[in-house]
Amino acid sequence: MNDNGCIHLNNFKAAKGTNPYKIVHAFFVACTSFEARRYKATSCLCFTCGMPGPRMHSCLHCIYFACYAGHIQDHSKTKKHFLYVDLSYGNIYCAQCQDYIYDRELTEIGVTHKLKEAKSLGISVPFMPWLPNPNEAMALRRLRKRRLISPHTTIGLRGLQNLGSTCFMNCIVQTLIHTPLLRDYFLGEKHKCKAQGSGKCLVCEVSKLFQEFYSGAKTPLTLHRLLHLIWTHARHLAGYEQQDAHEFFIATLDVLHRHCMNGVDENGEKKENGRCNCIIDQIFTGGLQSDVVCTSCHGVSTTIDPFWDISLDVAGPGSLAACLERFTRAEHLGSGAKIKCSNCRAYRESTKQLTLETLPIVASFHLKRFEHSSQIDRKINAFVSFPAELDMTPFMSSHRRAVDVGADNNNAPEGVCEDNRYSLFAVVNHVGSLDAGHYTAYVRQMKGSWFKCDDHMITRASLREVLDSEGYLLFYHKTVLEYECENS
Amino acid sequence: MTVNNTIAHQRLVLTGDRERFKELLRRRLIECGWRDQVRMLCRDVVKENESNNITFDMLAARVTPRARALVPDTVKKELLQKIKTHLLTQKDQ
Ligand SMILES: [Zn+2]
Ligand SMILES: [Zn+2]
Ligand SMILES: [Zn+2]
Ligand SMILES: [Zn+2]
Ligand SMILES: [Zn+2]
Ligand SMILES: [Zn+2]
Repeated sequence: MNDNGCIHLNNFKAAKGTNPYKIVHAFFVACTSFEARRYKATSCLCFTCGMPGPRMHSCLHCIYFACYAGHIQDHSKTKKHFLYVDLSYGNIYCAQCQDYIYDRELTEIGVTHKLKEAKSLGISVPFMPWLPNPNEAMALRRLRKRRLISPHTTIGLRGLQNLGSTCFMNCIVQTLIHTPLLRDYFLGEKHKCKAQGSGKCLVCEVSKLFQEFYSGAKTPLTLHRLLHLIWTHARHLAGYEQQDAHEFFIATLDVLHRHCMNGVDENGEKKENGRCNCIIDQIFTGGLQSDVVCTSCHGVSTTIDPFWDISLDVAGPGSLAACLERFTRAEHLGSGAKIKCSNCRAYRESTKQLTLETLPIVASFHLKRFEHSSQIDRKINAFVSFPAELDMTPFMSSHRRAVDVGADNNNAPEGVCEDNRYSLFAVVNHVGSLDAGHYTAYVRQMKGSWFKCDDHMITRASLREVLDSEGYLLFYHKTVLEYECENS
Repeated sequence: MTVNNTIAHQRLVLTGDRERFKELLRRRLIECGWRDQVRMLCRDVVKENESNNITFDMLAARVTPRARALVPDTVKKELLQKIKTHLLTQKDQ
């Protein structure tokens, strides 16, 4: 696509600059303020026929509004005003070239206004597809090797050797490798390391691992370097005996989060609330809100704690949604568990409710199937069904609050674009008994394409098979990602 | 458009809700792959007419009917439902 406009537009720009376009765009295409919306609401009617369409345009020379059903064309002919702007999308029509024309400078103005508009409406930044810059376009042309991704591609799949009961690690590695956003981060080579080559950085190690998985080679990989690195940095896990995959998952995230500090760009990068903003926290950290209500004075004390996963009791409920419902239900703390109320300045009975204040991009659920007590260690094989698609809205703090005051929040226009849907992308299963068990994982390689990872064996699986499995760790990825506005 | 419709339309623009619904629609159409399908349709039409310079209006005339037919019912239903409920709650206030 040629984005240098046309000779007619270039002449117009030379004479009048970009201001006429800027004004039309900011007021009638992407309203950057409430005032602009008022103008747009009341005056976007065809000056000739009075209708609001079809396809309203504004003359760029004299700001005459007219519809595309002939009236803007009439105006253009009689006045010899050849350039007009489409008010829905901001594209410019040149009557002399007889088509829409594209101009890089004006397109950029349009993008800036779109961002401002999103901000003024309180919606997240609209999705904009990636456009290669001249360098990237050249690199793409130079690199002739292409790989076609079809439904039968086995790209990104590789078995992992068992190093003597290290299936717990293999499952977690398979899960991390198939976490979409993590894959994008690593394949985009975003980790630029100060400790590069030292062999001490787990993030670098995972980065190499991604290259191995996507190299096209099929032989199973041996992860002794990775295991060794995690052992050195999470000493409580060291030893070749069978480990708990959940414990290993959390320990791995923790070491990765600590080693992200080795990154050139990531060092000390904190959010306003003082929380870490490394890739691990960006993907896996959510906020758990705890509201404790004193039964005497009804005073509420609220705390919000970061979490990487949610551990759920499995005895009783039969589905993940039911487990979550119970997890976020207000619970009465009896006389045996009095809490000091800062209002009453005394120990009081209270109710406690947990809700999700912010959702992570990857929601990880740990079904508590292992019960350890002083008397007995046992595994709970209770059936818990889990869906392929999960809406987390009912478990959020904002939603619970709305339900409490009886408001019907579902249709508030502000919430129209709020999207809390998640899709299942990995399931870790534990088969067998507590001490003689084995871990396997199901991972989603592409949309609708599932594989079972059993150490070095990778086999195709159906979604039904995945959903029918027992489930120990469940991983959901946000279905739609919101964009943050950088140039505010 | 009747007078009532015009007022409803103007109010939607004024509050910004029209843009919010438009954005929601845009997202749904991208999510379900509609946008990619339409892009392929456009590509085909341009390729068929490689000899003569195709304009936007020619492209729109050729692709619009097919593109409309491709919009999934679930998307139409969701939007209709949300706009309806929204307009009704506005009316009550
Ligand atoms: Zn004019
Ligand atoms: Zn008209
Ligand atoms: Zn021209
Ligand atoms: Zn590193
Ligand atoms: Zn971190
Ligand atoms: Zn109290």
